[in-house]
Amino acid sequence: MARVEKTSRSIQSPVASNWAKWIALVLMLAGPMLAHAATPAARPVVFDRDVLPILSDNCFHCHGPDAARREGDLRLDERDAALRKTDPVIVPGHADASKLVRRVLSRDPDEIMPPPGSHRSLSPEEKTLLARWVDQGAGWSRHWAYETPQRPQLAKVKNTHWARGPIDRFVLARLEAEGFEPSPEASKETLIRRVTLDLTGLPPTLAEIDTFVADPSPDAYERLVDRLLASPRYGERMAWDWLDAARYADTNGYQGDNVRTMWPWRDWVIGQLNANMPWDRFTVEQLAGDLLPDAQTGDQLATAFLRNHMINGEGGRIAEENRVEYVMDQAETVATVWLGVTLTCCRCHDHKFDPFTQRDYYGLFAFFNQTSVEGKGGSGQTAPVVDLANDAQRKERARLAAEYKRLADLVGKRETVLRDAAASQKDGKYASTLPSLIESALRKGPGDRTEPNRQELIKHFSKSQPEYVALLGQLEAARKARSSYSSSMPQVMVMDVRKQPRETFVLTRGAYDKPAEKVSAAVPASLPPLGKTDKIDRLALARWLVDARHPLTARVTVNRWWQTFFGTGLVKTAEDFGVQGERPSHPELLDWLATELIATGWNPKAIQRQIVTSSTYRQSSKVSAALVERDPENRLLGRGPRYRLPAWMIRDQALAASGLLVEQLGGPPVKPYQPEGIWEEATFGKITYQQDQGDALYRRSLYIFWRRIVGPTMFFDVASRQACTVKTARTNTPLHALVTLNDITYAEAARALAQRVLQTVGSTPQARIEMAFRSCTGRRPTERELGLMTKSLKRFDDLYRHDRAAAERLISIGESPRDKKLNASEHAAYAALCSLILNLDETLSKQ
Amino acid sequence: MDPQFEHRANLTRRAFFGRSALGVGTAALASLLDGDGARAAAASASRQGLPGLPHFAPKAKRVIYLFQNGAPSHVDLFDYKPMLAKWRGKQIPESVQAGKRLSSMTSGQTQRPVLPEITKFARHGASGAWVSDFMPRTAAMADDLCFIHGMHTEQVNHAPAISFFMSGAEQPGRPTIGSWLTYGLGSETQELPAFVAMTSRDKEASCGQIFYDFYWGSGFLPSKFQGVKFRGNGDPVLYLSNPDGMSRQVRRAMLDGLGAMNEAALADYGDPEIATRIAQYEMAYRMQASVPELTDLSQEPEHVLAMYGPDVRRQGSYAYNCLMARRLAERGVRFVQLMHAGWDQHRNLNTQLKIQCTDTDAPSAALVQDLKQRGLLEDTLVIWGGEFGRTPFLQGKIEETKTWGRDHHPYAFSIWMAGGGIKPGISYGRSDEFGYSAVEDKVHVHDFQATLLHLLGIDHERLTYKFQGRYFRLTDVHGTVVKGILA
Repeated sequence: MARVEKTSRSIQSPVASNWAKWIALVLMLAGPMLAHAATPAARPVVFDRDVLPILSDNCFHCHGPDAARREGDLRLDERDAALRKTDPVIVPGHADASKLVRRVLSRDPDEIMPPPGSHRSLSPEEKTLLARWVDQGAGWSRHWAYETPQRPQLAKVKNTHWARGPIDRFVLARLEAEGFEPSPEASKETLIRRVTLDLTGLPPTLAEIDTFVADPSPDAYERLVDRLLASPRYGERMAWDWLDAARYADTNGYQGDNVRTMWPWRDWVIGQLNANMPWDRFTVEQLAGDLLPDAQTGDQLATAFLRNHMINGEGGRIAEENRVEYVMDQAETVATVWLGVTLTCCRCHDHKFDPFTQRDYYGLFAFFNQTSVEGKGGSGQTAPVVDLANDAQRKERARLAAEYKRLADLVGKRETVLRDAAASQKDGKYASTLPSLIESALRKGPGDRTEPNRQELIKHFSKSQPEYVALLGQLEAARKARSSYSSSMPQVMVMDVRKQPRETFVLTRGAYDKPAEKVSAAVPASLPPLGKTDKIDRLALARWLVDARHPLTARVTVNRWWQTFFGTGLVKTAEDFGVQGERPSHPELLDWLATELIATGWNPKAIQRQIVTSSTYRQSSKVSAALVERDPENRLLGRGPRYRLPAWMIRDQALAASGLLVEQLGGPPVKPYQPEGIWEEATFGKITYQQDQGDALYRRSLYIFWRRIVGPTMFFDVASRQACTVKTARTNTPLHALVTLNDITYAEAARALAQRVLQTVGSTPQARIEMAFRSCTGRRPTERELGLMTKSLKRFDDLYRHDRAAAERLISIGESPRDKKLNASEHAAYAALCSLILNLDETLSKQ
Repeated sequence: MDPQFEHRANLTRRAFFGRSALGVGTAALASLLDGDGARAAAASASRQGLPGLPHFAPKAKRVIYLFQNGAPSHVDLFDYKPMLAKWRGKQIPESVQAGKRLSSMTSGQTQRPVLPEITKFARHGASGAWVSDFMPRTAAMADDLCFIHGMHTEQVNHAPAISFFMSGAEQPGRPTIGSWLTYGLGSETQELPAFVAMTSRDKEASCGQIFYDFYWGSGFLPSKFQGVKFRGNGDPVLYLSNPDGMSRQVRRAMLDGLGAMNEAALADYGDPEIATRIAQYEMAYRMQASVPELTDLSQEPEHVLAMYGPDVRRQGSYAYNCLMARRLAERGVRFVQLMHAGWDQHRNLNTQLKIQCTDTDAPSAALVQDLKQRGLLEDTLVIWGGEFGRTPFLQGKIEETKTWGRDHHPYAFSIWMAGGGIKPGISYGRSDEFGYSAVEDKVHVHDFQATLLHLLGIDHERLTYKFQGRYFRLTDVHGTVVKGILA
């Protein structure tokens, strides 16, 4: 059992959880949601849990942190202001004497708060609650997330056998308080599939399942977890969520949508996750690796995290406007990923709900405002970059550059001749007999002219100067060769510091050209101060984020990991820990995990191991109708997680189950099957999709080329990779079903899986069906299921026996070789069955 | 509205399935999911709007937005300014420009000679609307249209300005109009997506404006509310066709087997999501039939096809998309977002604008006419317009007529609207005598959006979604319904 905990904080009874919200919900549903919730009158009101959400949601818009919009000179987000002595609105202990309560209870439309025009209104329960809070003394505390987490005492539980560790103690205490029991442990087949998918993003192999199921030792599961945590597949799985947060993609976005080569950074991430780099180090390197004493190339490479933002190369864009946009993106991404707050609104004004001012925003902005980036152009390799080309690549690049220069010089000389021939001197002035359009195109020189200029020249000289026109063609070919080679060389955009410090100003309404007061780099005033530092730069900021006393970083981080394993964070709004975010379902558990992360030296695998080895995680996800009704979203954690896998994991699983998967770590992105014309249609034919062949078709989804303006089409419910995303939706539309039914990858996986079972197992259909089913679900089918699948197989068999041509076509989908020795009709029937199995709800879900 | 309500809707759905599955038993569920029952289940999984919506009786049930990417030149098409001819070639007065920001393409150009309309204008219909002779078919419909001349926006570049129109924000990441509508009002079709986007461009591909998928994105709303892009070639819906060698018969057999297996899992596991999955696959199967039916033009009479012009049979053309828009509207699709590029005449005004108009004039007008003759115009809102206007002064040199152009211009431009709740046959608002700035009855993009929502029975201040701690809405914190154009 866990060590004895000391705590400086009193523990609130888990019963007393958020009852106001629950009551509201109960009323809304006109039925009993949680019959065991305590009766309202018995409970003391807790300010930051019960009252602050009401004030924030309904009052802060006009009586909150934003000074510019404040009405009636009243603010309710700070204690001293809310409980002011002159013209008081709240009289502690006396609801009846408090103006706030009177206005809230009023029925007069001119009097009532919030006013009708605000489209906000309080429920009767919320009104009563406010009154009771004032009567009980109007206690005040800060929003929980802005206070440093304290190590909580372990919760007391009745059932002393179930809990394996501290996590379970907190979960069980809440369950017991609500009158629930935990679910029994899931079967071993279910467990190995669940945890293998969660930690590696791939399903277990049949041999792995057999070994685990046959292992009777009490620590068999823990050893399984350790094996998975040590697998190189672990880093690939965990990297996906980080790439979403880092808005990683292989192109710039916007018009032109030029290719970038940020993938060495993606490989760096995978490598560090596999190596279990402590999270504080992981943070510091990505935000300020270039500023570390004795920074190495790898350290600077890490800072590509910040440069993953979109780049706008649209003609007519103003460079400084772009640059400001990029810096804003960096500041806001850091705020969401580490602070769990959204600062976008502070571009223009003070935050409406949370204690962040517009000045705070530009203070944070200033940390990122010091690079040599200028915002010009749309190259995907805009300086500063780390050049990762090897010697041979550098040589080839130099050769192509030299060839271009040679041809450009030739063209230049030729054009001088052309211009001279057409020139005349009149009154000492230069004049040309060439049309002015042609003259001006020539004057620009081969390096600076636009494509329309070039076309005009070709048109004009095509008859009279064929050699010159041919030379223009050669030059263009050389230019393309140079730029396509050079842009395929890995040059990763990273951070640096420009020599001349840039001044930072508050920007009026966020407009780049409307600077107001000058600010210097600073952390938000409502959070702990920066601490002692020589220089106030990105390095200082990064170190501040991972300071053990920081209230947010550790909580926000463990919450995302919880979300990885349970589908929903302890704080459901993983992107918003602010006053308007949802409160944690298990506050003590969240704080225990956060303090544990720090206590382990920011050890990610140690925390994740604790989560996946807990009894909580190991519960069966089977659910009774009563439980669904009372806790539909499993926020009480009274059962195991069950939900549809992310689209990328479904694809990886299909490749793995069918034996097509090529496990190769890292490298340039790959282009698998994609319906024809997607890129062409999106870019007016300017960009052509050239599908790869061979192994590239079967690499993990993580390595698929991500064109930002039109992302990979086989994924659904994925982050757009246009802005930082720390939580993705799970929805169900017919379009998703069409992908897993009809995409070549899935059709090919079905016929490859069919081939595998036909090749591997003896002649009984039962054994073959079992193997295909196990490859996808990890378990043996029941008698009933076996009967259903046998029936389906027979139907497919009947249909394909009479249509051999169709059978041949179905089993020829995709580019992997097929075993021609197999009977085509039988192979096709099994392929249809495997497609069925690949589309089972159970296959698509983690359960 | 906020996710709390959505959650409640889901809960009802889950409870429905939950009770069906576990209370009544799987046999009952099996029959429920057969035939009409399956449709009912699918319906409850997909079509619900938010409780309490619409806020009031709507005038329009659906919208067809003919978005003209690249920004059509208002002074050459709909906003007639005789003053321009008087100032031809002269520097546009400083007082008119008043230090307004321009795109970097002309902000450095010191000469800004006034360029009058490049073609003739005339008055049309009983309403006497001024329309250029580049748009004869539109002109003939003038009495059905409402021209808005006082439009203005805040952005001078294409992508941010289009995003601003569609989502109310210049940066990608907010839900677009169609997503808001399907989120709020739900769907009236179970066989087709409620929000469809289609794109086309001029045949010459004269401009490089890209159609970004965030133009029809759902932003932070669940992605089931994003627009489904109907493609210009091949299957209109991605992955619609069965794999080669899999007939519809095999597919049916496969889905029967899949459904039976999933029902067994539902009985064993009890997760209502499994019931949703069953409905999801059945809807996909129906969509595989309904989309080909949608795109099959064999039943369209010749005279109707002729109205849309010669390109109507070419998949991916503007004319084809206009016809498709009508067919989608007939089938209950809530929001059809049709986007056509090619209006960005920086240096080819004299050659390209006419071609562009020829390609689009008949199809746009035919769509209005076709909807009208079918009685659909009454509750279908049709909108024609781009992301901003074009400068009343010249980009380029006055003597080089071939390369005349106009630059981006956000301070005044024109759009037209027709149908569902719009006053027909009026011109609303006015720009100054140079067509430079909107001066009378100005309509900001947020006002336009507020009005659009209003026509669909939605109070734009009350259709909100809580994300990252804030209640977001299409109109941000702005927008006033333009009462003057309401019927």
